[in-house]
Amino acid sequence: MCVRGSRTATKCSDSWTVRYLKTSEAATLLNVSPNTLRAWERRFGYPKPQRSPGKHRLYTHGEIVALRESLQEGLSISSAVSRAREGLSADADTLVGALASFDRERADGALEAALALRSLERSVEEVLLPSLEELHEKHGPESAPWAFAARWSSDWLKRAQRLAPAPVREVSLLIGDASQGELDPDAAAIRALELLCARGGARLLCLSVRGVAGLADALGRLQPDAVVLAGGYARDDEVARWAYAVRSTAGPLPVTLYRREVLRPLRSRTTGARLLPPSPTHAQLQLMELVESDKLVSARERSVVTSPTPLVPRQGSAGA
Amino acid sequence: MDAAQRSPFRVVQDSLPPEPVAIFCGHCGRSPESEQDTTASRVCAKCGLGLLLQTPVPTAPSASDPFLVVDGSLTICALSRQAEKLLGTTETDAVNRHIAEFLVPGDAEDSATETLAALLTWAARGESPSKSVVVRPTNTFGVRYWARVGPCGPPTAALLVLADAR
Repeated sequence: MCVRGSRTATKCSDSWTVRYLKTSEAATLLNVSPNTLRAWERRFGYPKPQRSPGKHRLYTHGEIVALRESLQEGLSISSAVSRAREGLSADADTLVGALASFDRERADGALEAALALRSLERSVEEVLLPSLEELHEKHGPESAPWAFAARWSSDWLKRAQRLAPAPVREVSLLIGDASQGELDPDAAAIRALELLCARGGARLLCLSVRGVAGLADALGRLQPDAVVLAGGYARDDEVARWAYAVRSTAGPLPVTLYRREVLRPLRSRTTGARLLPPSPTHAQLQLMELVESDKLVSARERSVVTSPTPLVPRQGSAGA
Repeated sequence: MDAAQRSPFRVVQDSLPPEPVAIFCGHCGRSPESEQDTTASRVCAKCGLGLLLQTPVPTAPSASDPFLVVDGSLTICALSRQAEKLLGTTETDAVNRHIAEFLVPGDAEDSATETLAALLTWAARGESPSKSVVVRPTNTFGVRYWARVGPCGPPTAALLVLADAR
């Protein structure tokens, strides 16, 4: 992920470029004041900005342009917002239609159209995953449309992950895949979490929880900072065996559960496993926060152990 | 008749002067400051939550008048702040809903052929001059309002201004 340009912030990956606008730039494009834009966000929830690392608002260029066009033909801000939103939801409808009619090219096109208006993270969250959910509900897990959609989405997410930039953070994550496989409705969400973590700069390794042999070699290479147990299909004893193998090799690590129902919450509390939210974006953020806070605690503990006792008392503590 | 003798058609100027229009905000109902350039931005500079609309002066609302804007299919497109209070809803909830969910004709016994729906449809086509009609809130009895109905825009739509309770 890179951010370039002073007037127009552009966040880019290798294949998709989404143009972002700062509040002042978005306000200029709409011919309103920045305060008005923030008031619209509070009242209408639109346009919905992302946040930069410095917590500044970043608006998607496509959303602002869609709103500007709607405002020109609208009778109120509410109706313009409603029309702009309809335009955005059209992508999900197109994707559902394309997948239900086994049209791979049209499905690719629908997601490309979504990417023109949103970031990749939001396209996955707002278009891809809801479309898959709708197809799964409508046709069922044993239908040909679902099989096609699951295969297509898996290919798409893997392709997107291959195009993600090289890891830039010193964060390594081990994902234990406890899903049934490609046809499992959780599989797409797990691939999405992988993609977002990779785009967030983390090093990743995703392994099935059924494979325990040779796990030590994998862990020696990755040296994970946290473990994610993802998916609800594998039995508890299979998952526990895998988690035990990880712990006995890599030592105690923060463990999180993603899209896995906790049948025995008491047990999960005692093992310290933390539940991640079902949204991959929120899950990725929580995961990164967890790892970074855990690293901070470890670093503090190390500094307490290694720092020598000061020979000269500090000024503040002299009188104490 | 010879073509040379036939009087040619001529464009006849409209004898009626153009109707004066008023500009108002579709949310707060206030008129814009004279220096606001309405061609650059239609967003009300005072409240920032409404678009500036035009309507013939007889229909124009004041800042304290509750009013609604509906399109040709009688779907609500805008609701003023005062109308939000009066009808107990918000613009975001009311937009894209049929006007009959909020207001219905108040005179059931009225023999006039022009019903509220017809008046609004004509106004939304820009064909109707300002007219008055009696309405009442849906599912509420004993409360009636005089309402002025006229065209507004752009784009062309119907404006319904609720005046004094009757």
